Amino acid sequence: MSSKIKQEKWDIRAAKKLFQESLKNGLEENKKQIKLPEHTVKIDELSRELTLDRIHNLTDSLIEMIYETGRPAIRLPSRTSANIIWDEKNDLLLLGQQIMEKQFHSLASVADITRLMKVLEKINELLLKDLHATKREIFYSAVQLFGDQKNSDKCIEDVATMLYTTRNSTHIVASAKGSCIGRLRIRDKNDIIDLEGLGSGGWTISPMLDNIEIIESDAEFILVLEKDAAMIRLAEARFWRKYPCIILTAKGAADIATRMFLRRISKELKLPVFSLVDSDPYGHYIHSVYLRGSKRLSYESPFLATPDIKLLGVLTRDLEKYKIPNDCRIPMNQTDIKRTKELLNEGFVKKNKEWETDLKLALKLKVKAEIQALSAFGFEFLTDQYIPEKLSTGDWI
Amino acid sequence: MKIFNKKDGGIVQLTDKEKMKEWPIELPLIFIEYIRNNQLKTYEDSKLKKDIEQYLDEVLEDIAIPGLIKVLDGDDFEETNKALVRIDELAKKKIDLVKPIKPYVEKLVKKDNKEIRKLSNSILESFAKAERRKKLAEKRKIMQEREKEFLAGKISGEEYANARKEYLILKE
Repeated sequence: MSSKIKQEKWDIRAAKKLFQESLKNGLEENKKQIKLPEHTVKIDELSRELTLDRIHNLTDSLIEMIYETGRPAIRLPSRTSANIIWDEKNDLLLLGQQIMEKQFHSLASVADITRLMKVLEKINELLLKDLHATKREIFYSAVQLFGDQKNSDKCIEDVATMLYTTRNSTHIVASAKGSCIGRLRIRDKNDIIDLEGLGSGGWTISPMLDNIEIIESDAEFILVLEKDAAMIRLAEARFWRKYPCIILTAKGAADIATRMFLRRISKELKLPVFSLVDSDPYGHYIHSVYLRGSKRLSYESPFLATPDIKLLGVLTRDLEKYKIPNDCRIPMNQTDIKRTKELLNEGFVKKNKEWETDLKLALKLKVKAEIQALSAFGFEFLTDQYIPEKLSTGDWI
Repeated sequence: MKIFNKKDGGIVQLTDKEKMKEWPIELPLIFIEYIRNNQLKTYEDSKLKKDIEQYLDEVLEDIAIPGLIKVLDGDDFEETNKALVRIDELAKKKIDLVKPIKPYVEKLVKKDNKEIRKLSNSILESFAKAERRKKLAEKRKIMQEREKEFLAGKISGEEYANARKEYLILKE
């Protein structure tokens, strides 16, 4: 089979057509903002100064409560699953308007409140000094108080919700995880970084995205890869030279910085986005997180989701189409079946008939396959045939 | 982003001038230098190259130079000082970039502030060095011609020696 791989450059006409449409639509809708439904919480991405203002307003109101009633409390939107709403129009997971109250004078919530105030104090310090800290650093700022990093992480998300802003606006960032390579030039403060000239590893997506700005690109599409192994294959083939694109990966589950960066480049450059994930429920779930956000961070979805992302592969129907050998297919286990059924119950999957059909086919065949299964036809099959052919024929969901 | 169309239907997108207004003052110059030296040669289309060159000139005239002049002409010593530090670094790397602000730097050597005077002199020294390098290159070219002429017996030993002397004085 490897001898059958086409070596010439494909005319990726379907992707080019989508690129021209994206460009046209992007220019028309450039000024339009996402209009959220009335019954959902609106979150703002704020500058350092505006975030500090919100902290000061919050603390002022707490002081007032102390003077007036002696029983201060904090009210914040509930992040329980019952309060997560799928906005069909914008294809986003959002937070509803259920409000919870944390009281300072209650024994049940006193530990929680103290932790919240500690995180608020740290955020205030970071913003005043214009510094960024990781979630881990926040945990180590008061180990005894937090006890476990799970508690400090939860407080960080609570404080962001409480201030009605994104976590990035609080200057608390996750560790760098994703990487990006291809036809893109950016600036990180005063340094210009060429993402074509950083070797095979590419640029590690900075969690401090407020310092990053796009300065030049001649890419025509963006390719999101689930796995680093696929990234290595495409980097080694210098895929973006033949097909002008930007490639990025979060090396597994999509982290905030990668999702935010993807949203930024796709929106600013008005480029179509394709994802290449394993043909299994986990891969499809990763695609869905890029597409419409995760439940845990639903309050930030409008700033993290890329609603137009297309699922390029690996689709279950590809296993037959490309005649992936049986020994490269893996039988689904009970967890895979359960997760596939859960995905089939999601509104955003039901809305997309092609996606629903592909997942139903996976359930019927009870098989899954990794992107690497395509290597059965040679290491170059992914870069010289599979991806270009799909981009040429428009074979995506 | 500012969009430039390629002949093949592709595009090049460059950051918009409006955004550059919020940049640190020396950054537009670095941007111009970067695109000119690294990216222009990668665009195969000559019309595209011309359009982008024109845009870079606009960035220089509308954003980069006015930004620097505003700071250098202002009364905020701290800001002027910061700007001069950046200009000094740029002048050492690529003098042509900061050429349009030379008259403003010349005015600053008369200021009372010691640090500003020191930095301004350092920048002017970079201009002087660049000027000398330019003259030396011209002389070197003439010298090579003279050498050829001397070897061909077209000029006398005395004429060659004089040309050589002029060249060596400038070199020192």
